[in-house]
Amino acid sequence: MRSVETEPPPPHPSPKHRRRSGLFIGAFILLQFLVPLTYLTREDAADDRFTWRTFSRPGEPMCETSASLETFDGRREELALQKLIHQDWVDYVGRNRRVVVEAFLKKQCEAEGVLEVELTNHCEDDSRIREYRLRCGGERAHETTRTAAR
Amino acid sequence: MKPLTRYWFGDVALARPYLLVRFVLTTLAFDCWLNLMAHGAKYGVGGFNVAHFPFFGDFIPGAPFYLGVLAFTSVLALSQALYRPHRIALALVAMGYTLGWTCSLLDSVPYHYLISLYLGCFVFFPMLSARAAFSRSERAPRGSAWAYVLFCVTTAIVYFYVAAWDAAAGEPYWLPMLCSGAYLVASMQDRSDSNVVPIMMPFLGVAPIAFHWLTPTENWFPIYMIGIAVLVFAPTRSIHAAGRTLTFPARSWLQDQSEAGIDERASQVFYASLFGLVTAPVVSVFVDLPGVKTGCALTAIAMLFVIGRQLYLTPKRRPLWRVASLFAGCLALFVTVTTSNARFDYYRAAAVDAGLRGDQDAAALMREKADQYRR
Repeated sequence: MRSVETEPPPPHPSPKHRRRSGLFIGAFILLQFLVPLTYLTREDAADDRFTWRTFSRPGEPMCETSASLETFDGRREELALQKLIHQDWVDYVGRNRRVVVEAFLKKQCEAEGVLEVELTNHCEDDSRIREYRLRCGGERAHETTRTAAR
Repeated sequence: MKPLTRYWFGDVALARPYLLVRFVLTTLAFDCWLNLMAHGAKYGVGGFNVAHFPFFGDFIPGAPFYLGVLAFTSVLALSQALYRPHRIALALVAMGYTLGWTCSLLDSVPYHYLISLYLGCFVFFPMLSARAAFSRSERAPRGSAWAYVLFCVTTAIVYFYVAAWDAAAGEPYWLPMLCSGAYLVASMQDRSDSNVVPIMMPFLGVAPIAFHWLTPTENWFPIYMIGIAVLVFAPTRSIHAAGRTLTFPARSWLQDQSEAGIDERASQVFYASLFGLVTAPVVSVFVDLPGVKTGCALTAIAMLFVIGRQLYLTPKRRPLWRVASLFAGCLALFVTVTTSNARFDYYRAAAVDAGLRGDQDAAALMREKADQYRR
């Protein structure tokens, strides 16, 4: 059996090897071209992973976040986000990263007796208030956007 | 040979892939220790996590898991940079590194994805010894290395998209576009029948260096990219001469012994290698970060897997050099973490976070540890 640790000098590839490598090269390059283009079809504009739009970490959140939940007995409780999740996740929520917002709302629904969870982002950049509401047991949070009163 | 076949399978100076693998693996190891480990305290806080890909499901990586994966990846990466890389080990480095950032959106540094792509290319690089990549004469050895060409094209695609997004935003895009073009033709410079490309290359290489110099980021991305640009665009003679100087000990002393001939199974080497594999991870006991011991132990197991057959089948001292490179990796991890702010930053972040969540006992414990490692 040939060792996987090849000895120098590397042999010139045979036609069969070139064909196989060519297939890999084609697939690898195609994938790299297609992945950044998926940004154009993403629902969440804040999600620019794998696109090469930036090389830095995500910037500071532009929204101030508050959250609350409603229990089956009709009580409404305010949630202190920093006590529940790490500040980085709070920042993600503040940037309206839909996937994190959804996961946060679902996580709060895991507690006993929770009927509905609501998360509100007061955003500075476009003076809008984005509200995400998840009825526990539901698949997706309902999002509403309104302009903040001045 | 058709032009496309020539482009992918034509000759390149073997010094480039040789040095490129070592440069990226070494930088990656220190990047893990000095920059990433300090962020480990975020992981698993509040039992909440969102991964980059849905197949992780409800898996919540804690700090020990994240730091363990980083320790495994970085020590294995450095050991591969120090001694002749092995394809299986490089595949494990690629998988470990990719697992490290994909398991959570907490690591959303864009270039980590690029490094994963690079590591994927490295698995298919020719596994070169110093003697294969550098000759005693002035003439640089050349050979086919399609994965190196793929590495350059991957980089070109990244710059192409940087330029495309800039253009879409109405910003100047000529510099990243020039970088993209430069990387597309970079692999052609070492071919003997080409006269124009080698002359142009050092000038084209200025583009990526200028791009990263002018757009600094708070992470190590410019260090990677400027280093890569130097290795890809430097004139063949210069890169060969620099590599020859750097690898002089490996070529003249280390390999003279290791290539002495295939021995029968040497029991001394066998037992010494096993002893080394068991003792190398012990260094990590003194690092005092969760998960690092496990990570280093897994590296030793991976190394055993890598050298397993070599204990029987290859020149007699090679397993020992592999174990020595593992030792050096563990030792470098220990020295880097203990002489930098990595541990202080980790425990300080953990203390702040525990305080925020109202866990005062954990906060006090973490603060105590942070004070212990304050420099």
